[in-house]
Amino acid sequence: MPRAAADQYVSNIRRPDDIDRFWEDVLAETARIPLDPEVIHDPMRSTDRIDVYEIFFTSLDRVRIAGWYAVPRHHDGPLPGLLQVPGYNMEPPVPKVWAGKGYAALSVAPRGKLRSNRQFNPGYPGLLTYGMVDRNTYSYRGFYMDACRGVDFLLARDEVDGDHIGVTGHSQGGGLTVSTAALRPEIKAAAAGAPYLCGYLDSIELTDAYPYQEIADYLRLYPERREQVENTLAYFDGINLAPSITCPIIVSVGLQDSTCPPETGFAMFNAIGSTDKRMYAYDGHGHDANNHEHGAVVDAFMAQHLQA
Amino acid sequence: MTTSNNSQPQDFDGFWQAVLAELAATPAAPEVEEIPLRSTDFAAAYGVRLTSIGPYRIYAYLSIPHGAGPFPVRYHLPRYGSVTDLVPQGASNGQRREHITFAICVRGQRLADQPYAAAFPGQLTDGIDDPSSYVYRGIVADCVRGVEYLTSRPDVDSARIAAIGNDLAFTTAALSQHVTHLVCTPTLLFDTHDLARRTSAYPLEEINDYLRLHPDREAAVAGTLSHFNLRWLAPRVNAATLLMAGSHGSALDASALQPLVDGIQGAIDVHEAEHSGYRDGRHSEEWLSRQFGMSEPSLPPHWRG
Repeated sequence: MPRAAADQYVSNIRRPDDIDRFWEDVLAETARIPLDPEVIHDPMRSTDRIDVYEIFFTSLDRVRIAGWYAVPRHHDGPLPGLLQVPGYNMEPPVPKVWAGKGYAALSVAPRGKLRSNRQFNPGYPGLLTYGMVDRNTYSYRGFYMDACRGVDFLLARDEVDGDHIGVTGHSQGGGLTVSTAALRPEIKAAAAGAPYLCGYLDSIELTDAYPYQEIADYLRLYPERREQVENTLAYFDGINLAPSITCPIIVSVGLQDSTCPPETGFAMFNAIGSTDKRMYAYDGHGHDANNHEHGAVVDAFMAQHLQA
Repeated sequence: MTTSNNSQPQDFDGFWQAVLAELAATPAAPEVEEIPLRSTDFAAAYGVRLTSIGPYRIYAYLSIPHGAGPFPVRYHLPRYGSVTDLVPQGASNGQRREHITFAICVRGQRLADQPYAAAFPGQLTDGIDDPSSYVYRGIVADCVRGVEYLTSRPDVDSARIAAIGNDLAFTTAALSQHVTHLVCTPTLLFDTHDLARRTSAYPLEEINDYLRLHPDREAAVAGTLSHFNLRWLAPRVNAATLLMAGSHGSALDASALQPLVDGIQGAIDVHEAEHSGYRDGRHSEEWLSRQFGMSEPSLPPHWRG
């Protein structure tokens, strides 16, 4: 049974007056760092239809970021690009499925993930609260940029049509879909599933499950830091970034999601700036957000906007 | 060449006897340290380091309710990936109020990744040419070591120890008779060689990737995987079991898993997946609470009502 009126929930988050300026500065700082891409063919993961590459590039703080890049072996003309962003405690998948559907697909491993953790490794649990008292050192400052930098990687590829790049992910990947679509106007379509990183502080009141419990743990041990934490997270909350999204976007939530409460997904969705937006709310589903059936919705949405 | 692993290796019993003997000869040497950040007003959290076969040092999260025990145990076995959580993502942290929870980081996972850091993808085929070198030989032993540690604790209710997870929960229940309850969703180690042929999805695709590059090793791979096949371990499971099957028509639906149902010696219930983490998760929580004689299941807020 769905909880009452998740779609009517009003977030307690406040939007900083200088949030746009903050991210403009972070993006500019990132842009000054050479991408320095490295692309290494992986014969073991490649097939007769798909070439798979292990890739690396440089992101904010000069952290070297890894990813998997999969491209159809045979194609005519430029390919639409698709950025796949990972969940919180999952490994970034080799995106052969997306390549099989005709995309040049990049699955990025933001800092702290395996293969991107040599210079930064706060661990799990740990990533969500690392540096949380300072917006300029918070873990997700670089993490968000690593996903954005994936867009730069795709734009630098000759086989990618830079006018047709999309982003998708589930859970933390849903949150990164929101942040990337908000911060990078080159994104032309976005599909966010069960978005995390929306309503951070709302969520510790709405659920007692991890990963958001990491924040509850932190504030239980350091209650005097609450104001600093609130100030920092306001700059990173998907609810506050959503107004900057202008591309077509779909969002899915499970109304019984105990990991990323649906209330926060609705709050983020309601804040999205784009008029071309649609919410898929699935009753009877938890954090899966009915991905068993919703996958076909995402496929059709991406094809409509990137392959037409 | 097509080789099925659907035959029990002749040395199957001897293989696992040797693993357990090696484990028994390896002192666990536990170190326990409180983790204040994860402790609450109702439970204390600890990090536990243990030695498993190799010897290899592994890690586990332990949570113990405040108050007088003994307490029932939820032993969470890791899914395929680098991260083990204190309690599984999305589960109610409130389960720590009435249960000891124990979550193990096996060799290669974070917190147990020195000197061996597993690659994902990659772990599923690491050493796969020979059962004695296959990384899962050590991983399975790591999980059994966890049960042994738990049963050494006076605050553990030895009549209520549940192994919860995927294939490693099953192997643990098969190889340790201390496991009284099993909640298992098979994903990788049931007829793996055949299963991989029917999918291009990771992590099973790792097997296909490996054999595409090394087709001459197919028989060896099949032979190794047969040593770890849940099918042959099932007769060793005496725990009361909830078997979480895939949805009807999927590769691991109830029909496909019938050999496990036939083999398991304990009382068994089978639940076919409903493609809903909520419905499936709630079903398993309610099953376990009934088995443990708890007054109500430990559900997160969005699962109640």
